[in-house]
Amino acid sequence: MSDAALDALALSVRVALVATVLTAALGIPLAYGLARRKIRGGGVVDLLVTLPLVLPPTVTGYYLIVLLGRYGWIGAPLYRATGWTIAFTWWAAVAAATVMALPLLVRTARAAIESVDAELEKAAFTLGRSEWRTALEVTLPLARNGIIAGLVLAFARALGEFGATLMLAGNIPGRTATVPLAIYSAVQTGESGEAAVLVLVLTMLSCAVLLVASRLGARAA
Amino acid sequence: MSLTWRLPGFSLDVAWEAGDGVAGLFGPSGSGKTLTLQCLAGLARPDGGRIAVDGRVLFDAAAGIDVPPQQRRVGYVFQGYALFPHLSVAENVGFGLRDRPRAERGRRAGEVMERLELQPFAARMPRELSGGQRQRVALARALATDPALLLLDEPLSALDLPLRRALRDDLRAILAQWGTAAVLVTHDFTEAYRLGDRIVVYESGRVIQSAPRSELLWRPASEAVARIMGIRNVLRGTVAKATPDRIQLHWRGQLLEAVNSPIRSYLPAPGAPLAFFIRPEYVRLIRKDRGAADPSHHMNLMRAQVVDAADFGTTWTLRLRLDEPGPPAQGDHDLEVEVPSLVYEILDIARDRHWELSIHRGSIHVLPT
Repeated sequence: MSDAALDALALSVRVALVATVLTAALGIPLAYGLARRKIRGGGVVDLLVTLPLVLPPTVTGYYLIVLLGRYGWIGAPLYRATGWTIAFTWWAAVAAATVMALPLLVRTARAAIESVDAELEKAAFTLGRSEWRTALEVTLPLARNGIIAGLVLAFARALGEFGATLMLAGNIPGRTATVPLAIYSAVQTGESGEAAVLVLVLTMLSCAVLLVASRLGARAA
Repeated sequence: MSLTWRLPGFSLDVAWEAGDGVAGLFGPSGSGKTLTLQCLAGLARPDGGRIAVDGRVLFDAAAGIDVPPQQRRVGYVFQGYALFPHLSVAENVGFGLRDRPRAERGRRAGEVMERLELQPFAARMPRELSGGQRQRVALARALATDPALLLLDEPLSALDLPLRRALRDDLRAILAQWGTAAVLVTHDFTEAYRLGDRIVVYESGRVIQSAPRSELLWRPASEAVARIMGIRNVLRGTVAKATPDRIQLHWRGQLLEAVNSPIRSYLPAPGAPLAFFIRPEYVRLIRKDRGAADPSHHMNLMRAQVVDAADFGTTWTLRLRLDEPGPPAQGDHDLEVEVPSLVYEILDIARDRHWELSIHRGSIHVLPT
């Protein structure tokens, strides 16, 4: 493999890992809130989170530019305050991957949490546990396999993210050119050998991740 | 406690009090018993009313008091036991003791498991236990926190019948030994009677009687209570004459004499409809080899024919139709009579279908309308 290909692979794995951590931090509380109907306007939240699953990634990417870009709703005040913008940094790749991976985690984790018998939570309440401690000690441990399966799926999705990343982060070798983007460049410039190697690597990585996910899913059921 | 709860199509409006010991909430499914327990535990919030345990107010709609379940000191044994499947027996039992120091927690959990003979299973997971053991773990978990009130929702319904009987007596012993005030929900009258010191009868969201168990058994407050209790031979006649200690009534061409209730002596006008019941095991068949019936000894005499006989092993249940014109009182028969199998054999009831009966006046129980 060329140095460029190795750079792309390292960047992809790093972006996917950070995106998975962010997805977990956002997605698990969200899944819990939606499953136990603790969120006001849960239907709208659910819709917004799920939307990237069905929209073309370029559309999601467009929204991310509107939101986070240098002139975006959040991006502009941020730029004024710090002089820093997320666009075309590797954090942009992380943001794109997180938004795309979030629905996979939220849907899987929500189903797992909903399948936990609510009576167990009531039992914990009568035994003196606050709702917060009950979630940590009873609900989430019992939904663990489903949540891990969701995280694995989210990681796989983050690894393969292309469209939204291209929109927000661009295709800068060594900085935002993750494996899918590097493959695109390689094909565009006729480096078919490089493209084939990266395709193979990404396919194998994704297969491994899906195998782990289905194992966990089977154990959760 | 008293509480009200309104939902479209269902309303709960109940009030009762209980002293120490076990109160059995008894009634058909969907009558609001479990909802009452959930309100007591703070897991459901009633629309109105007031709940107090030992003088401590847990809920008062008017005063805006609603103590959260975590602070109610109420132990709850759920119908399906709700054991934490990811924790061992010892961890389940110790779950409610988290705010105590670690050493004391272990000691208390151990002590409770010891008393409930759960020590051998301490390291097991709930899925490795039998139904009866699970029930004990659920009980131990609730008792470990030393609750002011223990709530049990159909504690035996998840078990097979033979086990159920054995565990019913176990549970009774544990509750008596522990001495914690308890409220138990059941739709099985025998269970309510065996386990409850006081029985509160529910029907469609209302309390139709609340009484010590012996009073309930012998003096149900109404025909509805008698029917819900599954009492057989609940019948309707008309009053002939009522005095403070006797009531005479017409039923199926007979003039029956009954003892008036000594507690709430009851004086309906002649001609008024009147419900009463006769326990099947208190109807006497008169032996034919001892001569004619003796009026000084036998009362409420009538003649009847056996139309059906069912073998229950140790007893036989006979369905009898009186030798009277007109439709029988209970479908194809007027009375159910229960006789021990030995009597069935001695009297040769299998062949001899025609009998004279007598019912002591004390065995005809008049039901207030």
